[in-house]
Amino acid sequence: MEAIVLPFVEGLLGPLWPAVKPVWPLVWTLVKIVLILSPLLLSVAYLTFWERKVIGWMQVRIGPNRVGPWGLLQPIADGLKLFFKEVLFPTAADKKLFVLGPVMAIAPALAAWAVIPFSPGWVLANVDAGVLYLLAISSVGVYGIIVAGWASNSKYPFFGAMRASAQMISYEVSMGLGLITVLMVSNSLNLTEIVGAQSKGQFAGWGLGVFSWNWLPLLPMFAVYLISGVAETNRAPFDVVEGESEIVAGHMVEYSGMAFAMFFLAEYANMILISAMTSIFFLGGWLSPFGFLQQIPLVGVAFSNGFHWMAFKMAAILFFFLWIRATFPRYRYDQIMRLGWKVFVPLTLVWILVVGVWMMTPLTIWK
Amino acid sequence: MEFKTILFYLFSAITVVAALRVITARNPVHAALFLVLAFFNVAGLWMLLQAEFLALALIMVYVGAVMVLFLFVVMMLDINIERMRQGFWNNLPLGALVGLLMVGEMAVVLSGRYFGLANLPPQNMPANYSNTKELARLLYTDYAYPFEIASVILLVAIIAAVMLTLRGRKDNKAMHSSDQIAVKAKDRMRLVKMSPEVELPAVAAKEGE
Amino acid sequence: MLDNYFPILVFVLVGLAFGCVPILLGWLIAPNRPDSEKLSAFECGFAPFEDARMKFDVRYYLIAILFILFDLEIAFLFPWAAIFKEIVNTEAVKMFGFVEMFVFIGILVVGYVYAWAKGALDWE
Repeated sequence: MEAIVLPFVEGLLGPLWPAVKPVWPLVWTLVKIVLILSPLLLSVAYLTFWERKVIGWMQVRIGPNRVGPWGLLQPIADGLKLFFKEVLFPTAADKKLFVLGPVMAIAPALAAWAVIPFSPGWVLANVDAGVLYLLAISSVGVYGIIVAGWASNSKYPFFGAMRASAQMISYEVSMGLGLITVLMVSNSLNLTEIVGAQSKGQFAGWGLGVFSWNWLPLLPMFAVYLISGVAETNRAPFDVVEGESEIVAGHMVEYSGMAFAMFFLAEYANMILISAMTSIFFLGGWLSPFGFLQQIPLVGVAFSNGFHWMAFKMAAILFFFLWIRATFPRYRYDQIMRLGWKVFVPLTLVWILVVGVWMMTPLTIWK
Repeated sequence: MEFKTILFYLFSAITVVAALRVITARNPVHAALFLVLAFFNVAGLWMLLQAEFLALALIMVYVGAVMVLFLFVVMMLDINIERMRQGFWNNLPLGALVGLLMVGEMAVVLSGRYFGLANLPPQNMPANYSNTKELARLLYTDYAYPFEIASVILLVAIIAAVMLTLRGRKDNKAMHSSDQIAVKAKDRMRLVKMSPEVELPAVAAKEGE
Repeated sequence: MLDNYFPILVFVLVGLAFGCVPILLGWLIAPNRPDSEKLSAFECGFAPFEDARMKFDVRYYLIAILFILFDLEIAFLFPWAAIFKEIVNTEAVKMFGFVEMFVFIGILVVGYVYAWAKGALDWE
């Protein structure tokens, strides 16, 4: 794409071009970052809208329908409202860390998108250790919560922060261990190659790619990863962190206005990130599930590989997030910790052994 | 000046300042967060050396795990800073000795070219070069034995951590759902066989004679 | 290889800026009329009492320590998992590479079982 844009920019700037040339890589990177961030933020805004609509329908309500046609302008109105709300700094708070909290929450949630491939070649940084980078950057997200909880110097935020951080680190273990099997069968830490590895196999050859993706042979790990993802983002039914009836809003109690909006954005950006990661690791990313349908004239184009499949899979996982929020009651804290440490960790370790033995025998499906 | 050199000086300058603030900050939480900043910049420096795996593992393990524990500790054990400062002069000689030792070691490492330690010229690796796989090929073949020893050290650490910190609480009224489900009528209720205590009517007794 | 990491550095900086700028703008644009009630810590309408920063159950430390150990285990497993296919396809090291890692995991499982048996993973 750069090859198309570059001559155009050169022509446009004319004599100014030599001055811009040294910083061109930076400018081009920034352009690409904006191209990733603006759809992301738009998705975040409309994810909140969709969430309210879906949960409304599930509870036989209408959901937001006042602002704009079908309520479509609701998230914009919410954003504007937050913008004009007073930002408070409580007297007892540690001011510097109080500001640092939301920044540390949103920065990793956005920076993680640097290595996510959207379709072949459409990735900002095609680094070799992509999985490692994602794990490293998402482990930083816990700081936003701890720092916010401590800096507020108030009881509910402190309790919320403690619960959240212990919960997040517990589920990071099962997410990390669950990914080991994905790496074993893909032979790579690069996200594009992980998707590529899922396009091979008996079923993929027949055009039934959906059965060649990792979710089928690694089904327990897929479940572990998805549920851990819900717990990692502190979403219902694992949302004791901000259990309204117990600790009000957890670490966000003392935040208002844009400072609060940053936590809110980070939570939804993380949800979308988890859905992107799950579809890359287990659901074949941009691969088409029914490649054989490409033979059909006209409609067949929809069944070729491409970004639309990735978007569809992400939307399906996000819908799952909203669905379980409307369906399940909140877990008790000791049950959350038991699930993470006593169910998921043994399960992942056993499945590493199963996949290891499977790959050692001639029955291996990963040649 | 090359861009990489600028980055190197930037990362090292922030590392040094952050490290200084770690020991000068009055608030232990601030000190811990400065240490996090220092780790990030050290990761940047390692990345400049193309040690991709090490840089990311540093963030994952040290920033993501070790510093979280540090923060837990300094946030929740109200450390009395005044009392900690009292022993400053008494501990100074020992501290100075350790410091000198470290400076000496650093000097040996940094003057490695003189001692003939550093003889690998830095190479610019191609984009698809996998640092992690290269590391793995070495670690799991030539260094398999130290690798297994690492797991034993981790085992010792797990046992030590459990031994040192685990204290059962006396006042706990927790319910164990597994016990509740596994309960049987036999455990809760005792069925006793008894002879009837009601006297048989006298008439019946007579007829029986 | 480093060229690949340049966009990441830029993205991290953009992420940080994205966190700071809206808060700053919100602080500048929005009205600012603080009073002592607004600025006091929220405690469901009661006046806050005691210091909010208190000692916590030791379990939280234990979980953090166990997390460090498991994180290290993951860090050791990652490179192995990334070359496992190569190990399987090389006849000479096939068995060695497999057994080696499961000895490593086995030793750690001993520690995990110990922690479980001692009740370190229980929350009451």
